[in-house]
Amino acid sequence: MKEARVITRRDFLRGTAGVAMTVAFPSGISATAQAKQKAKVVLIRNAEVLTVGGKVHEEILGQMLDEALRALLEESETLQAWHRLVKRSDVVGIKSNAWYKMPTPKELEAAIRKRLLDVGVAEKNMAFDDRGVLHNSVFLNSTALINVRPVRTHHWAGVGGCLKNYIMFVPDPSAYHGEACSDLGKIWTYPLVQGKTRLNILSALQPQFYGRGAHFFDRRYVWPYKGLIVGTDPVAVDAVGARLLQVKRTAYFGEDRALDVPPIHITVADKKYHLGVSDLNRIDLIKLGWLKNDQDIRNPLKGSYVREACSPGLTASDLL
Amino acid sequence: MRVWIFWVALNLILTPARMADGARNEPMKLEISFPADTGGWNWDGQVRSFHPRNLFDYMDGAAELYLAYRFQSLDVYQLEKSGHPPLTIEIFRMESSADAYGIFSFERQDKEAGLGQGSEFGGGMLRFWKGQYFVSIYGEGEGPEIESTIIRLGKEVAQAIPQQGPAPKLIANLPGTQVGLIQKSIHYLRSHVLLNQRYFIANQNILHLNPQTEAVLAQYLRGTHKVHLLLIQYSTDKKAEDALHSFKKAYMPEATEKGFLKTEDRKWTMAKRQGEFILAVFGAPALADADELIKDTEAKLKKGRK
Repeated sequence: MKEARVITRRDFLRGTAGVAMTVAFPSGISATAQAKQKAKVVLIRNAEVLTVGGKVHEEILGQMLDEALRALLEESETLQAWHRLVKRSDVVGIKSNAWYKMPTPKELEAAIRKRLLDVGVAEKNMAFDDRGVLHNSVFLNSTALINVRPVRTHHWAGVGGCLKNYIMFVPDPSAYHGEACSDLGKIWTYPLVQGKTRLNILSALQPQFYGRGAHFFDRRYVWPYKGLIVGTDPVAVDAVGARLLQVKRTAYFGEDRALDVPPIHITVADKKYHLGVSDLNRIDLIKLGWLKNDQDIRNPLKGSYVREACSPGLTASDLL
Repeated sequence: MRVWIFWVALNLILTPARMADGARNEPMKLEISFPADTGGWNWDGQVRSFHPRNLFDYMDGAAELYLAYRFQSLDVYQLEKSGHPPLTIEIFRMESSADAYGIFSFERQDKEAGLGQGSEFGGGMLRFWKGQYFVSIYGEGEGPEIESTIIRLGKEVAQAIPQQGPAPKLIANLPGTQVGLIQKSIHYLRSHVLLNQRYFIANQNILHLNPQTEAVLAQYLRGTHKVHLLLIQYSTDKKAEDALHSFKKAYMPEATEKGFLKTEDRKWTMAKRQGEFILAVFGAPALADADELIKDTEAKLKKGRK
């Protein structure tokens, strides 16, 4: 059996980590075919979605989600967009995150619930859960999944994002912590999950960009970004989330302070498990709404969201 | 005034014969009394205890870090005050004082707080190590009153740990501040996963780090550049030689003979072996910088052998 190629710091210095990853985790798909794939992700921000004290404005958050869905699926009506994702007959598991320091905002769960009800999904056929998914009948019988959680730095995965959020779908989560959690994508190939995920949402309302201590949390490193990152491609959504944390760390510390571990699992999910696009140059990021911390470019309740273009590879000025 | 006293059924260190090995432990009880003035926070009377097999029940995501530093046990105390978030005291017992130092050094970043054998306070969190114990005290709330209470609690816990223990000997071999050492950047490491978290080298364990090896990573300021020095001690010369061969083959295959090269960021990497040690420099702005750090480290190692 051929030895897996070692990925070193020099691969990142050369900017060839993606190529190295392809060699290290060979796939059955040609590089040419992979290079053609593109993904679309929506980043929407609103200066008014949080109060000074950090409380979530539920109505504005709901509007942000609606706007993001319409832009993502290029629909003029919110419900049309949702109907493209979920059928009324679906049994929908909404995989949230219950980590007590930074759970999925209840207001975001409420916004999703409202739209699922609007689509016609029966109340009994939807459930929100995290650690109990393996014992939740809705999840066990699900025909559709929605993946929603806050984005944060993670001690062993580099980034706690949508890919990582499915670790509760296996009975032995710690078994996936090896090699910087590189094999998280494998979980997405298991029958309980495979092919069911219709939407991935990273809550970037108050992301955590650095951590320490037993619970890997320090309030100094949480900031009010007031955004949502939304897409159907979990890899692309996580790649944008990881990039956001990276540029924030560099801006905050005044030096290129890498994530605690390179989020290899995102690249592996692309190159080995073909779950989506990890290359930022192949991600079409649609930026909507409030873009600069000192500048609100739209009326949060009445105006329409302004769309701005991004640079290839997503620079700090694209995201911060 | 109410003084709370509780007993912590922990194993404390202390047989002299074992001290040289980094202070290992014999069972005894650790008595901690809360200071009379705790600003209105009262212990809830509960002690939650954890061991290596159930540490994951307490921590979500960070347990491996403590396990890598040979974690033995954890006792958690909470202090409550009406209308306020709780204060939490975490007392970790590690296998040796070197491990306690290691977990402290791994996340060090704030100002010294003057407790134990090394401490820091920032962001509402006090961290210190003493003997084979690593202690963390933090509050969810903010404000000077909470902070002063945390410090008072910290002093009490530090006093209750009667014995100090040695820091890892390996650290003494690092060149000092005269060549640019950034003190807070020193990390004592026991696995390649931890090394990668502070300085990513490779996804595989090309330096053959394991629980029997010890490593220190430190940053040096050379002009405006931060240079990393990595010093690893293996159990035998042969193991060090094998690890160096593995490293060079994976990381610098075009320079295995010379042992140094300019990498893609136009900075210099240098690696060599001395006895059971590997010395490596990463990110030096000039070859002379790498060479100086290596030579200074070699001189320290030679001096240490005399």
